[in-house]
Parts: sequence; C-alpha cells; structure tokens
Amino acid sequence: MSTTRIGRLTAALLLVAVLALGVLALAACGSSSSSGAASSSPAASASTASGPITVTDDEGNQVTLDKPAQRIVSLAPANTEIVFAIGAGDKLVAGTTYDDYPAQAKSLPKIGDFNAPNIEKTASYQPDLVLAAGGIQDKLRSKLESLGMKVYVVDPKTYDGTIQTIENIGKLAGAEAGAGQVGDKMTAAQQTVQAAVADLPKKTTFLEIYSKPLMTAGKATYIDDMIGIAGGDNIGAQAGAGFPNFSTEVLVKDDPQVYIADSGSMSKPGDINQRAGFSALTAVKDGHVYVIDDDTIARPGPRLALGLLALARDIHPEASISQ
Amino acid sequence: MCLVLALALGPASLSVGRIWHLLLAGPVRGDLDNAIFWQIRMPRVLTAALVGAALAVAGVILQDLFLNPLTDPYVTGVSSGAALGATIGIVLHFSNLSATTVLAIVGGLGTLVLVWMAARRRGRIDVFVLLLAGVTISYLASAMVTVMMIKANQDMTQIIYWLMGSFSGRGWGDVRIALVTVPFMVLPLFFAREMDILLQGEKRAMELGVEVERTKRMLLVTAGVLTALAVSVSGIIGFVGLVVPHIVRLLVGPGHRGLLPVSLLAGASMMVIADLLSRTVISPNEIPVGVVTTFVGAPLFVYLLRRGRRA
Repeated sequence: MSTTRIGRLTAALLLVAVLALGVLALAACGSSSSSGAASSSPAASASTASGPITVTDDEGNQVTLDKPAQRIVSLAPANTEIVFAIGAGDKLVAGTTYDDYPAQAKSLPKIGDFNAPNIEKTASYQPDLVLAAGGIQDKLRSKLESLGMKVYVVDPKTYDGTIQTIENIGKLAGAEAGAGQVGDKMTAAQQTVQAAVADLPKKTTFLEIYSKPLMTAGKATYIDDMIGIAGGDNIGAQAGAGFPNFSTEVLVKDDPQVYIADSGSMSKPGDINQRAGFSALTAVKDGHVYVIDDDTIARPGPRLALGLLALARDIHPEASISQ
Repeated sequence: MCLVLALALGPASLSVGRIWHLLLAGPVRGDLDNAIFWQIRMPRVLTAALVGAALAVAGVILQDLFLNPLTDPYVTGVSSGAALGATIGIVLHFSNLSATTVLAIVGGLGTLVLVWMAARRRGRIDVFVLLLAGVTISYLASAMVTVMMIKANQDMTQIIYWLMGSFSGRGWGDVRIALVTVPFMVLPLFFAREMDILLQGEKRAMELGVEVERTKRMLLVTAGVLTALAVSVSGIIGFVGLVVPHIVRLLVGPGHRGLLPVSLLAGASMMVIADLLSRTVISPNEIPVGVVTTFVGAPLFVYLLRRGRRA
C-alpha cells in the first residue's frame, strides 16, 4: 500500500518536473526570439559600414562580426567602462558584480564576478560579442567560443594599446565616433603629461600593488608604460613581466625617490613610512609617498587618463600638472 | 652557523667587512645598508629561526603524544583556526598589520580550546578524539576561509599568500611575538623522561608512576601555543614540523633528552636556510618559503629513511 503510494507520488513529481522544464524551455525560446526580432531592426539602421568587421584583440586573435554587435556581455569592470564611455552602453546586456562605474553599470544584470564568470549565464544572454579579460580569464575564451560566442580579450600591455583596444571595441559595437572621442581624450592627457615632464629628470619610482607580500607592476604592463610616460623609472621592471612579488631588501637597496601604493593594497602613507627599514628610503624622507586610486590604474579603460595624470602629479609635483 | 650565513647573504649584497661594520655600529636611522641589515634582514632571520624551532618542537610533542608518525603541528586544527583569524583581519582591512597577527593568535588558541573541550571526557583527554576533533575543526575553519575569500574578492591574493606562509616583510614586532615561544620550547625539556615513558602507552606510563593526564595536558597546551604563535607570525609553512622530528629521530634516536633540543636547533636551521633560499634564488622575486622547505626536506628525508633502513 505505502509503496504504491510512494510510487505514484514519485511519478506525479516527475511529471510536474518535466512539465516545468518544458514551460521553461518554451519561455526561453520565446524570449530569445522576441529579443532577437526587437534588436534586428535598429541594427539595420545603426550600422553604417557594410560587410563584416574584423579586428585583432590584445591576445592577437582575429575577431570577426558580420554586423555591429547588438548584445554585448562584459566580463570585467574595465570593459563595461569602455562600452559606456564610447556611447554603446545600451547594447550591454550583462556585466559583472564588480561593475560600479558609471552608475548605470550597477543596474546591469550580472553574470558572476570578474574572477569566476558563470559561462552558462553568459550564454543565456545570447550575446553576439563577449568582452573578456586576460590573466585570470585565460582559459575562458575556448569555452565561450565552443558555445558559439565571439570573444574579444581586453588585455592591453601599454597605454597606447588601451586606446587601440577601445577603438577596436568601437568598431565592433558600431560606435567608432564615440571611441574616437575617448581615444582623443586619452591621447590629450598623454600629451599634457609628456610636455610637462619632457625636460625633467626621470625619478626612480616603486608602485605597490600589495604589501604582504610586497607585489609590484613589472615589465609588459600598461602600468609600467604609464610610469615611464609620467617621467618615472619603474623599479619593479627588473622583477620580470606581469605583477611579480618583490624583495623588500632590493627595494631598500634601490631606494626609490617616489613610492606609490595602489589603493587596492589598503596601505596608507602613514603605515608605509613605518614599515621595517622604510625610514631610510629617500621617498619617505622627502615625503614622496602617495596612494593612487585603484580604479584609475587597475582598470585598462578610459579612466587610465586620470591615472596617468595622477601618476605624473605624484612623480613630478614640481611640474604642476592640472586636471 | 646558519644564522650567520643567512645574515651575511641576501638579495642586496653586503660585503663581509660591511656587515661586521654594521653589526658593530648597531641600528642607525637613515642609512640604507644599515636599514637593510638591522630592520629587514635581522628580524626576518630571527623570526624564521624561532618559527622553525617552534614548529619542530611542536611536531615532536604531537607525534609522540598521538603515537602517529604522520602527525604535524597542523592536525590539531590550531593552524586553520589561526588562518581564519588572519583572514578576518585581512578582510576587515585593519590598517595595522599586527592586528591581523593578534587575531590569528586568538583564532589559533580559540581552536585549541574548542578541540580541547571536544576531547575531554570525565576529566580525561582522549588523544584520538582530540585528533579527530582537530582535523574536523580544521576543515570547518578552512571552509570558512574559502567563503570569506569568495565574498571579499579583492583580498583574495593577500589571503592566499598568507596561507602559503612567508617571512617577507617581518620586522621586530614579529620577532617579539615569536620570542614568546621560547619558554614553551624550553618547558618540554623538563618532561623528557615522562615523554620517553609515554611512548610505551598511557597504561604502562601510569603503572610506572607518571602523572599521565597532567603531562598530556601540559604537552598539548605547549604544542598548541607553539603552533598558534608560529602560524600567526609566518602563515602556514608545511613540512618542517612533520619532517624535522623524523630526521632528528633517525640521527639521535627517540630519547627526548636529545630529540627535543636537537629538533629545536634543526627546525631553526632548516627554516633559516629555506628562507635564505626563498629570498635569494630568484631575486628580486621571492619563492614562497613553504615550497623551499618541501624541496629541501623531501629528498633529505627520503635519503635518511633509506639509510636508516639499511643500518
């Protein structure tokens, strides 16, 4: 008696589950087809260029779209900033939980965070372009592409490379004019800085990413490039590429004239001055210890222009660079 | 000898004459070489020595108490508790880094009390329950650390590096904390005879007139405090607490009168050498010291095991 009742109950539950799945599947199909229809009409009018668009991303892969992207998913806060800055924010269908700039980015649907984007969720938005990042997202591209998505990896190694990537995204999103304006602004900031520090001697500079253990920005990073543009000589470059850890002994031996901590390190100038051995540093003795806003230096996007100006002001306060 | 070598060598090269001069001069403010020697290298080497010694002594005590050769100081869960404390400190962004160390000590000792309460039954401590409780609480604490890492994403790197263990950036404040281990390292030396007898089992020890419960309690607390202090200062550095006692046992035998002091010195030496390699081999980068202890310790241990077998 009881066994048959359990059997019947199980069958009923299974039936409900199957029905629910069916309804969900139908709903998913319905929504995707309707959104596809809705987005196809403005696409035709918006795209001025005819024929496929091909650009090369920061990992050297060619990305080809038949027509400008209409449904973009961003997997990094910097990418989201780029899309909004070039005036294509309305084409973003999802971003990450870290996206906080500009303010509209906060209300975007989220596909997870920057470190672990959810692939299923990304696919569910049926994007025609996914903007990924390098480093931690290295293995993501092949997975996304095997699901039929087009992936552009944003991982610039220089300041100019960042401008180039913004222009590429402008082409892919059909927002070349907007991207051009952003690039011009970034170039203008670069020219301002270059003119201001042109005749000044290079100052040895250390940029702290983390304090325990001490980590810095090494070669082949846009931060290293920006320190150079701002009239600094990056001590961290000798430690290799990327973001390596760095010996405190060597730091003191090399005695930087300027010490800049990324605000993401949570370090305060007061703490830095009091660290073991730091009282002997020229940067500490001369009061050239600064904290720089993480958002303007750790996100390769339009706000790097602000980061570059801030770096130049910290490295060469005597050049009196205005905003 | 290892201490001298470690003080003499470093990524910022200082000549022997220069070091002699610096040693005589004492700490001077404002001079770069002096700062490297007195403010960076010296406290770092001393911290490594104390942490290595503490872990080795704790390893000896726990292996013999649990009569289990695979025991290391971390099975009591104290290290994971300390890691949880440190993670909370990192996530809360205490600008004062020693606050993180204090939280790690609190976490470690708190775990010790928890494990202790779990293992106490009618005034006796069941070492096997204690071992299981330790491992269980250690998993629980690790799970909580993982959750915190995911929630506080921007701190993930810092937490991971803390968990790997390092002596990078350790100053005199850390030496002061590590110095607290000294009385706890000396204390077991006075119980060498009791520890020898305990190796034959609790029942036999009781027949021979050893106050088993009191000795066990004292030894467990000692090992727990040593581990908590060591981990709080350095993070979790593997292999030293596991392998040094075995190596020393192969060399001087299981008698605690020799085993304890020689392990203390061997632990200190191994850690100092490991840290020396960690900061010099790929300078200006650093290799996590736990990686070095394993690379140095594993082949040495296998060699000694094989030699011991033949003898």
